[in-house]
Amino acid sequence: MNLTLLIQELVIGLTTGLIYALIALGYTMVYGIIELINFAHGDIFMIGTFICISIFGAFGITNSSSAPTGFNLVGVLVVTLLGSMVLCAVLGVVIERVAYRPLRNAPRLAPLISAIGVSLILEDIGKLWKGITIVPFPQIFPQNTYYIGPVSFSSVDILVFVVAIVLMVALQWMVTSTRIGRAMRAVAQDREAAALMGVNVNRIIAITFLIGAGLAGAAALIWGLKYGNTNFTLGFTLGLFAFTAAVLGGIGNLVGAMLGGVLIGVVEALATLIPDSTNGGFGLPHGGAPWHVAIIFIVLILILVFRPSGLLGQQTPEKV
Amino acid sequence: MAIANALVPARDTRALLIKWIVGLLVPIAVFTFIWSGEAIINNALLGLLGLLGVSEISILIQVAIFILIFYATVIALAGYLVAADSGLRGTIELWIDIAVFVLVPLFLVLSQGLIIGLALCAIIWVVYFFARRRVYKALNYTPPTPLLNLKVLDAEQRVEVKNRAIMGSFWFSAALAAVWLIVDLIFYAVGQLPTTLLVWVAIRTLILPVAGYFLGMLAGAVALRRTVAAKNGGNGGNSADGGGGPASRQSQLQVLSTTRFREEAKDLVPNDLPLRSSGAQRFYLILLVAFVLFYPVIDPFLFGFGTNGRLAGYGDAGYYVILALGLNIVVGFAGLLDLGYVAFFAIGAYTWGIFGSTQLTNVLNLAPINPHLLSALFWPMLIVAALVAALFGVLLGAPTLRLRGDYLAIVTLGFGEIVPIVFLELDAYTNGTNGIVGVHSPSFFGIDWSVVTPVPYYYLILALIAFTIFTNVRLRDSRLGRAWIAIREDEIAAASSGVNLVTTKLYAFGTGAFFSGIAGAFHTAKLGGVSPDSFSFGDSVIFLAMVVIGGIGSIPGVIVGALVVYSINQFLLAQLDTIAADPSSVLFAIKNFIITHGIQGFTFGNIRNLVFGVILVVIMIYRPEGLIPSARRRRELRHTEDEGVELGALDVVPGAPGFESEVRVE
Repeated sequence: MNLTLLIQELVIGLTTGLIYALIALGYTMVYGIIELINFAHGDIFMIGTFICISIFGAFGITNSSSAPTGFNLVGVLVVTLLGSMVLCAVLGVVIERVAYRPLRNAPRLAPLISAIGVSLILEDIGKLWKGITIVPFPQIFPQNTYYIGPVSFSSVDILVFVVAIVLMVALQWMVTSTRIGRAMRAVAQDREAAALMGVNVNRIIAITFLIGAGLAGAAALIWGLKYGNTNFTLGFTLGLFAFTAAVLGGIGNLVGAMLGGVLIGVVEALATLIPDSTNGGFGLPHGGAPWHVAIIFIVLILILVFRPSGLLGQQTPEKV
Repeated sequence: MAIANALVPARDTRALLIKWIVGLLVPIAVFTFIWSGEAIINNALLGLLGLLGVSEISILIQVAIFILIFYATVIALAGYLVAADSGLRGTIELWIDIAVFVLVPLFLVLSQGLIIGLALCAIIWVVYFFARRRVYKALNYTPPTPLLNLKVLDAEQRVEVKNRAIMGSFWFSAALAAVWLIVDLIFYAVGQLPTTLLVWVAIRTLILPVAGYFLGMLAGAVALRRTVAAKNGGNGGNSADGGGGPASRQSQLQVLSTTRFREEAKDLVPNDLPLRSSGAQRFYLILLVAFVLFYPVIDPFLFGFGTNGRLAGYGDAGYYVILALGLNIVVGFAGLLDLGYVAFFAIGAYTWGIFGSTQLTNVLNLAPINPHLLSALFWPMLIVAALVAALFGVLLGAPTLRLRGDYLAIVTLGFGEIVPIVFLELDAYTNGTNGIVGVHSPSFFGIDWSVVTPVPYYYLILALIAFTIFTNVRLRDSRLGRAWIAIREDEIAAASSGVNLVTTKLYAFGTGAFFSGIAGAFHTAKLGGVSPDSFSFGDSVIFLAMVVIGGIGSIPGVIVGALVVYSINQFLLAQLDTIAADPSSVLFAIKNFIITHGIQGFTFGNIRNLVFGVILVVIMIYRPEGLIPSARRRRELRHTEDEGVELGALDVVPGAPGFESEVRVE
């Protein structure tokens, strides 16, 4: 195999993986705090991409060629990023309030079904909003290609990298060093004890949803700028990968979610290198690309067999 | 005469008789005269006498058997209810209940069709429950405690119970005969009743009361079995031999908490709410089984044209029941969250798909198997498909044994994604995206079935469901089932009590997958092919929703959940657009409003998932424990809400009398 190609795929995988990681953070935070697989999270991301398109539309940007330049571009991007984050965050909080909070003390699977219901609702809202076809996303960020040796990467990759890393560092700082972060960790560890110590549990859970959904809103913008299209089913596909990433890294663990996201992005990219074996030889029928979901999950299963709590998850001693 | 004396009711019995005869006669009359009860009988009779000349004799015999079972059961039920009623609850209350729960569904199903009628009923019931709670609150009404002074009945009282049952059945059937006679005479006067049937009218009027008398004896026996009885009837009360004597049974009941007492009192006679007692449930079960069994022949009478289409739909609903019951083993009994259950369904479906078509022989370059032989091979292959699925269940289970909670969920989810991709991409064997077509229909003793006649499939799925329910109940009560429940409740405690975690979990995965393999093979056979699109994550989610909405771990709950979710998804939401096409319906107005005020080209098909999602969320918020929760979970929910087990979680202090029955595992 060609080494340049390998490194090239690694770069692609890294960019995609960072976006997965941003979404995965939402899953892992919510899971860490109320042990709920928030199936609606991927769909919040999907709604986020539509929100971005609408904000662009409000600025009169409908396709890649009507992109502004210079400071205008920066302004538009910042406004869109903030708008998407805020609206997604609000959506996340509303969902928590309506569909999950009434089920706080219900049997464990009830909120899961509720989450699935919300996911179906959001999917159909997306369908009503933008139709069932693939929706073009104005790629207004300049697409300059740079080379390090033979390996190419674009300016959008740099943008993705910067936004994702900045947000992750900010989140990590918030969780480890602020009052709210400490309260979140306390609620995650023992909800009742935290309540007894004066933490407003419902508020902290709402904030967790707020932050998680906000990150999905940010991921929505950079996804759109990078790939240039979206669709109402996008939330399901990416949500699946992001959730897998969260589990892979050790669910509830922020650094783990980032690591898992990048790992999945890389595996997905490398999977496309597997040759086609339809006419004999090594490989898989039709090449690796159609198999990438299967390969990701096989990697996941293998990792979990050897590390049952994910890469960075702690082996919690079983409580008796 | 002894018989005559026995049939003259005493004063307090008279009130009960009126209560129940009126309560039951009205719905029966509605069924018989307004719906098709009378038409079914008359057609069957005329046909049997050879006067219609068109119908097949076997169908008519089936109809006759159904009618016989139906009316006999209702008459016996009347006797049981009169005998079992404690008379503590009011008559009007009962009549309102019967109106809401029997009459309303009858009329709605009659006018709107089965599925939409039942859906409307569900809405009305919810409103009714809500209103009733409000009214009770406003009136400060609390229902009476169920007979805290439940007594051991002596011989005299037992005779009394039996007599009341006989009277109930006798007078009910007499009243029915009288009403029926009058109605028939009117029909005759108007000229709608053939003269030949007058003989039948006379015979019926005479036979009904006599039949009522004997059915009443039967009902009395059913009621007597549920009384708190002296065990050794002949010994006259000196049965102080510890164990199961009446005294100990009574003290056992007294020592139970109110919650448990209510539960136990539900099974006993006398009973405050005899309609809901387990004795009455036996009669409902007979009615239900008779209805389901003879449904294909009575459907044309009840709903008119389109029997085949409806039967095909119910056949599909049937394999969802099997799938939900299978998943219930994994999720409900053993507590292992499985998000990829569709994988085993796919494996079962493709097993028969590849074998039952020319696919296998083509791939192996063999001569095709004789189609007749292949059709007969469906039966062994049904088991093979189930076993293959079970094998994969164990294979999946093996690497996941160390995983806990949601790590397990994601691995099963992954498996559910991998399997369809494998079937899709290995197109040399599975024909890829096109799926497999031309799968042979099964044959039964030389009779080839075809894809277009749904009746054989209807009976096949009935048999498979019966098998699944039977095995599920037996499994739940077996040593293995108790081990599953123990694992679900507390893995460590179970392990230290000697439950082998590895084999028990693998059995759970294997058994769960086994049933979905059966459902898969049936699916392929009924459809005559397999398409790779039918096995997505969305389907796994639907199966899980069926289990959770029905009531996790509860077998009747899961069956109801499967039927409810399937009907909502396949019948109700699919029909929204059809209904909206009718200008007189509310939906038509809603649709127009949406199109003119917002979304162009809006159809209800576009928001199917949205409506389904809203229904899921609403059901979960208002009924998180499911529609029919298992008794264990119901008890848990009524007790303290926090996790810690303290003495309060048990109703009885260990060592006190009654503790044994309290900690009974189910």
